[in-house]
Amino acid sequence: QGAGMSHQAQHCLAARQCPLGSKVLACGRRREMEDTASVVPSFTALPCGMMGMCCCDREPAKPTTSDLHFFGIYDGHGGAQASAYCKERLHVLLSEELSMLDKVESSHEDLDLGWNNRWNKTLNDCFSKIDKEVGGVCPNGICDDETVEGGCACCEDAIAPENVGTTAVVAVVGSRQIVIANCGDSRAVLSRGGKAVPLSTDHKPEREDETSRIEAAGGRVICWDGYRVGGFLALSRAIGDRYLKRYVISEPEVTCIQREDEDEVLILASDGLWDVLSNDYACDIARRALVVARKKRENRTFSPGEDPAAASVAALLVKLAYSKGSKDNISVVVVDLKS
Amino acid sequence: MTNTDPALLEGEYIAQRHHHETLEHQASSVLSKRIRAPVDVVWSTVRKFDEPQNYKTFVKSCIMHGDVRPGNIREVCVISGLPATTSLEMLEMLDDEQHIMCYRVLGGDHRLRNYKSVVTLHPETMNGKPGTLVIESFSVDVPDGNTKDDAKFFVEALIKCNLKTLADICEKPQ
Ligand SMILES: [Mg+2]
Repeated sequence: QGAGMSHQAQHCLAARQCPLGSKVLACGRRREMEDTASVVPSFTALPCGMMGMCCCDREPAKPTTSDLHFFGIYDGHGGAQASAYCKERLHVLLSEELSMLDKVESSHEDLDLGWNNRWNKTLNDCFSKIDKEVGGVCPNGICDDETVEGGCACCEDAIAPENVGTTAVVAVVGSRQIVIANCGDSRAVLSRGGKAVPLSTDHKPEREDETSRIEAAGGRVICWDGYRVGGFLALSRAIGDRYLKRYVISEPEVTCIQREDEDEVLILASDGLWDVLSNDYACDIARRALVVARKKRENRTFSPGEDPAAASVAALLVKLAYSKGSKDNISVVVVDLKS
Repeated sequence: MTNTDPALLEGEYIAQRHHHETLEHQASSVLSKRIRAPVDVVWSTVRKFDEPQNYKTFVKSCIMHGDVRPGNIREVCVISGLPATTSLEMLEMLDDEQHIMCYRVLGGDHRLRNYKSVVTLHPETMNGKPGTLVIESFSVDVPDGNTKDDAKFFVEALIKCNLKTLADICEKPQ
């Protein structure tokens, strides 16, 4: 019996309403569009107190659930197969993983560490599974082994060909907490009290710990139009990329952060944005633009995942990145945390 | 009495066909791959200078200017995420009898200036069945800021990927 959406449980009254968000994507100066983004309000629900996501004073006798909301950016390379698959599947897979968790409830503060560890494990499992599903991992472990003679037919029909992959930065937003999982060089940044708070660290091959990890696995980081794994990929982690899987792993880094009143806006974006706009600059622009856009927000007749105010801010960020010369696909998700 | 030791034969083929005059700022190397398919099968894929994407998985598309004849040029477009986008390449030799293909890079957006490639195929019996020894060699300018070792490492990895896919395709039951 899973811990997921129990239809008997009531919806928690203390849960905040779904934060309003939106995505805007642009092909930009590239020939192909390989970025995707995912905005899924209420993608799943958890019993209150579980996984540290709801802030209600729950009566144990009356089980309640609160909704969680999903936002993701996937920056594909080599082709669009992996990013397209993640867009459709990752939040579904995460919902399945969460529904399989043991029903252990507690809202005690000192269990936060336990919940953070559980999020870490759940998201790691989720990313690992999606990497297998998309064909990033050869089930026989030989597709990226050059010492193996003879052809390998085992990954012929994989969703992603061997040199196709994607980044993934995802945010799970609950009433009390935001959980970020990052794999690659897309990034999540929070604007809190007028300051930019990065919620993820890019996985670039020149990051010292990543270089060590790659070298320990027998790989090499070469500066060849930027630092690249083996001279090929300018990422040290990704979903897919079967031919480099020994070095370019799909293991995400997970960050949990409690929500605060000073939280203004959450921005997820691909490197098409971050390569030309700093965290501070993007947050500054987004915060100011959102203040203006909120005033124009009319009655809530639209879907929380297609908020016009958030969309106008996201579009502004995309335009700014383009005007600053970004040569890449540019994709942005903006979440209004004051909504 | 003909010496049929495959290793020695391979050495001879390399000496005959895969010698690259390299200058100090250049790197070169030779790789070989044994494919369990007859020479004709492998050659039929390799010889298609206008369709490298058939086995080179980093190639997205190719436009051939004219027939597949020495002197003619192909424009190759590469998949995203790599340190290159396009390459302009001229076919220099295509020998259907001896199974030799040579081409050189004329330009494009990448860091492999003056890249020259030689590919030769040789029949070899493998486990009693007709197989193919593929030998591929190259020479290239070492780009600014990199070592010969960097250049060799990168190009060898690229060629190994391509040879592996070539093997996968040719060894598939037809
Ligand atoms: Mg990008």
